[in-house]
Amino acid sequence: MRADRIWEIARKDMASVQRYRYVRLGLILMPLIFAVFIPLVLIYPVVAGEEAPKDNELPPFARPGMPSKEAMVAGLIDMATLMFMVIPAAIPSTIASYTLVGEKVNRQLEPLLATPTTDLELLMGKCMGAFIPTMLTTVASFVVFILVVDFLTLPLFGHMILPNLLSAVVLLVYAPLISLLSISWCVFISSKVTDIRAAVQLGALGVLPLMAFYVLFVGGILSLESLTLVAFALVLISASAGLFALGKVTFQREKILTRWT
Amino acid sequence: MIRLERLTKEFDGLTAVDGLTFEVEEGEIFGLLGPNGAGKTTTVRMLCCLIKPTAGTAFVGGLDVRKDAIEIREMCGLLPEAPGLYGELSAYRNLEFYAKLYGVPRSKREENIKKLLKMLDLWDRKDDPVGTFSKGMQQKIAIARSMVHEPRVLFLDEPTAAISPEAAKVVRDFILELKHERCTIFLCTHNLDEAERLCDRVAILNSRLIAVGSPSELEKSLGLGKTEVHLERVSEEIVRAVEKLDGVRDVEVSGNKLLVGVRDPDEVNPLIVETVVGHGGRVRYVTRTPHALEETYLKLVREGESG
Repeated sequence: MRADRIWEIARKDMASVQRYRYVRLGLILMPLIFAVFIPLVLIYPVVAGEEAPKDNELPPFARPGMPSKEAMVAGLIDMATLMFMVIPAAIPSTIASYTLVGEKVNRQLEPLLATPTTDLELLMGKCMGAFIPTMLTTVASFVVFILVVDFLTLPLFGHMILPNLLSAVVLLVYAPLISLLSISWCVFISSKVTDIRAAVQLGALGVLPLMAFYVLFVGGILSLESLTLVAFALVLISASAGLFALGKVTFQREKILTRWT
Repeated sequence: MIRLERLTKEFDGLTAVDGLTFEVEEGEIFGLLGPNGAGKTTTVRMLCCLIKPTAGTAFVGGLDVRKDAIEIREMCGLLPEAPGLYGELSAYRNLEFYAKLYGVPRSKREENIKKLLKMLDLWDRKDDPVGTFSKGMQQKIAIARSMVHEPRVLFLDEPTAAISPEAAKVVRDFILELKHERCTIFLCTHNLDEAERLCDRVAILNSRLIAVGSPSELEKSLGLGKTEVHLERVSEEIVRAVEKLDGVRDVEVSGNKLLVGVRDPDEVNPLIVETVVGHGGRVRYVTRTPHALEETYLKLVREGESG
């Protein structure tokens, strides 16, 4: 595998997609929503509220072992932190849809396939072209999120509550795996559809497993213990590996030229 | 340079290309002709190692398409039917991207891109997004892309389809220029006039190989060629005398022009001129009818279809 070829494909894809309005919009709006809007709407009202919720009124996701208001706010921060998994799941569905389905529709894949690159180099380049902007956006928004949350909650806790273990796990383990999962899913979808919008919509289905995890946490069925975090990481690793393998089988020259409808 | 040995491709039981066997010499412009769905693009895709043959094989530059895909792709350039350029990127960047994928070293890369863009008269537009270019200009960029790594073999699939006559002429002139650089060119086209003008030899294909040879050889083999004799004045006596010549199939008169169906123009044309002059005719000029390959092609394809 030749890194320079992979990087060149990724670089070209990154340069190409940033010219699409919907991709740019996604790269700007998502961080704004998750890093600024959610803390302001979800966390700030509780921090600023005069009354603390009663212990028996606390929702299942509230952090145990804390006074009720702090427990409620810490639980909400955990919720907002988990919501960050949506960014690495959603952005690739836009980028990969443009770089795969868009190139298929515009018949840009054939000259690319005629180059002396291997199928795996092409696939890796395409994946990296979606992975890098996704992770840059996720990390940048997370930094803003941490600053906003710490700024809002410093008077309540008296110390910076973020970064913590959960945020580190989400950013360093879950986000890359979810991004890879989403990209692999998009590669698979690209072989089935000929419309970019359909690809984006189907790609968004990649968010569903995360929503399931999220609902289980909010509903109190799952707690954010180390075991749960490790188990979810293992699920993500298996799913990413499985889908990447499927993407690899799907992304073969002959299939792209003759089977991708 | 290219050798096909019973090259076959099937898709879901349907035979797209059936046992092709022929050779293309180094530095030759070779045309692949055939109706829609005849298997031309499939053949090119197999030769460029984009798809694998179901049976048989082919050798490009001595390398086997079944085993040496990367090496073959390194030595080949492909212009597919659709230009497939990145409209949002500049002409220069489009070419640079492909030059890098073909592993062209930096110094050579810049030199090649500049040379090609200048040859195709697009150097002044090198920084403009190709999405703003006309179809003809885009086709030129796509040709430059297929040449950016100086391939030994160039596959051109319908290079002048859907572009203006002016742009088509630039492309044809460019193809002829490449021939002087000893580049082997494999040309798929529906444009028989273009094939006749450019190709040293052609193969006529309709899933199976129907015929292969130079346009004049094919024409001769079917005896479909026509010679046009432009005279000052046509007389009945001249027409009758020409009709009686051996090797003359038929004679038509069109104004002051004789259209003489001949089996072997090399042999019969001097006799025609001699006869015309001997019967008091004054010859202005003699030429082959244009579209002779078209007639040959249509006859061969019809024969091929009827089995």
